[in-house]
Amino acid sequence: MPAVSICTDPFVPAALAMAKVYGFPGYQFATMPHPLASLDEIHIEARARDLVPDVLRILAVEP
Amino acid sequence: MTGALTESPPLADAAEIRAAMEYYARQEWTDGLPVVPVTESYLADFLAQTSLRPDDVVFAIPHLNRDCTVRLAAINAAMAGCLPEYFPVVLGAWAALAGEGYPVKGIWQSTTGTAPLLIVNGPVRTRIGLNSSGNVFGSGFRPNATIGRAIRLTAINVFGLRPHLLDQATQGTPAKYTACIAENEELSPWPPLHVEHGCDPADSTVTAIIIRSCVHIEARHTQVPEQLALDITGTIARTGALIHETISALVVLGPEHARLFAEAGWSKDDVREFIYGHAANTRAELAAVGKDAISRHSHWRLPADHPDAMPDRASGTKNPDLVPVLNSPAAVQVMVAGADNAGVSAVVETFGPRGGPLSIAKVLDVDG
Repeated sequence: MPAVSICTDPFVPAALAMAKVYGFPGYQFATMPHPLASLDEIHIEARARDLVPDVLRILAVEP
Repeated sequence: MTGALTESPPLADAAEIRAAMEYYARQEWTDGLPVVPVTESYLADFLAQTSLRPDDVVFAIPHLNRDCTVRLAAINAAMAGCLPEYFPVVLGAWAALAGEGYPVKGIWQSTTGTAPLLIVNGPVRTRIGLNSSGNVFGSGFRPNATIGRAIRLTAINVFGLRPHLLDQATQGTPAKYTACIAENEELSPWPPLHVEHGCDPADSTVTAIIIRSCVHIEARHTQVPEQLALDITGTIARTGALIHETISALVVLGPEHARLFAEAGWSKDDVREFIYGHAANTRAELAAVGKDAISRHSHWRLPADHPDAMPDRASGTKNPDLVPVLNSPAAVQVMVAGADNAGVSAVVETFGPRGGPLSIAKVLDVDG
């Protein structure tokens, strides 16, 4: 199943390092601002909506 | 006098030594402190200390696709400043870490910022001069300082666990430089840790525990075991330590406190049972910090009105307003270390199995 990884901005260096470890330095993933864990439902939903275009782009889905 | 200035200086060019050290620093083969340059001949001294082969794997992290061999462990032990005779303890540490569970799964990378604590028991302590007495968590003793550091340097250099990259610790802990103590078996009124867990007193062992914080207990005022045990318990139960539903702890008693308990007739199990029975927060205390329920998915603590919340286990008991922080007496380990000079002990907040067995490995090739 096609999947897209999502991480918050502070984890971008770690995500790039993991991609390199797996021999796939060009691996694409979506990012969003920190923090996430302390957000309420409304803000989480807003975050998800904001991410959709980037997720579709990575999946190469035509809008 | 050790290292007296009247001794002849070594015939070496200081600039050359410094150049080698700076080369290692530029390669980022370091925890930030200078490391010892390693040559093949020096490495051979380490490899001669073990019956394992240089290419035997001592630790693997599958999700990083990386293994640590005996040779790589030896290089980093030498860089850390270990003497060759410490190397069997370093290998014991890797064996204990491999059995611990969390390190194999990548706890090294966690935002929590843990570090492995190594506890050494048995005859090897005195053979190589490990400190189990005054300043046991502090500086000043080469085996303690460098055996713990050997683990960290290996994490950095072999597994690539560098801060800001694969190591995502939010703050980390000073224990990430080094954390290796020995038990003060001589001043413990009880069987040492490794014997309690089934080893022979003549065995030398390393126990590996994943830790975050080391909190000290000041209790110089009392001879009442219940008072001392409650002082320790209050520290274990602090809400800030609760990420999961329950926690685990290693209680490192100073000899004075251990003797206080023993003279009152308490065994280690009595200490453990008392702490287990009293380490709790009220529901109101947890609600005040927003930790009165657990997540349906992660089982981490969160507020009861969170959409992902479900009741914790205590909610379904006869006393739902008193929430234990320990899931069993076995979630508390007890050992003795430090000087016999004050009523001071420590609670080490551990990330180990909450109630599961300790990971203890025998140190091979030393006591034969």
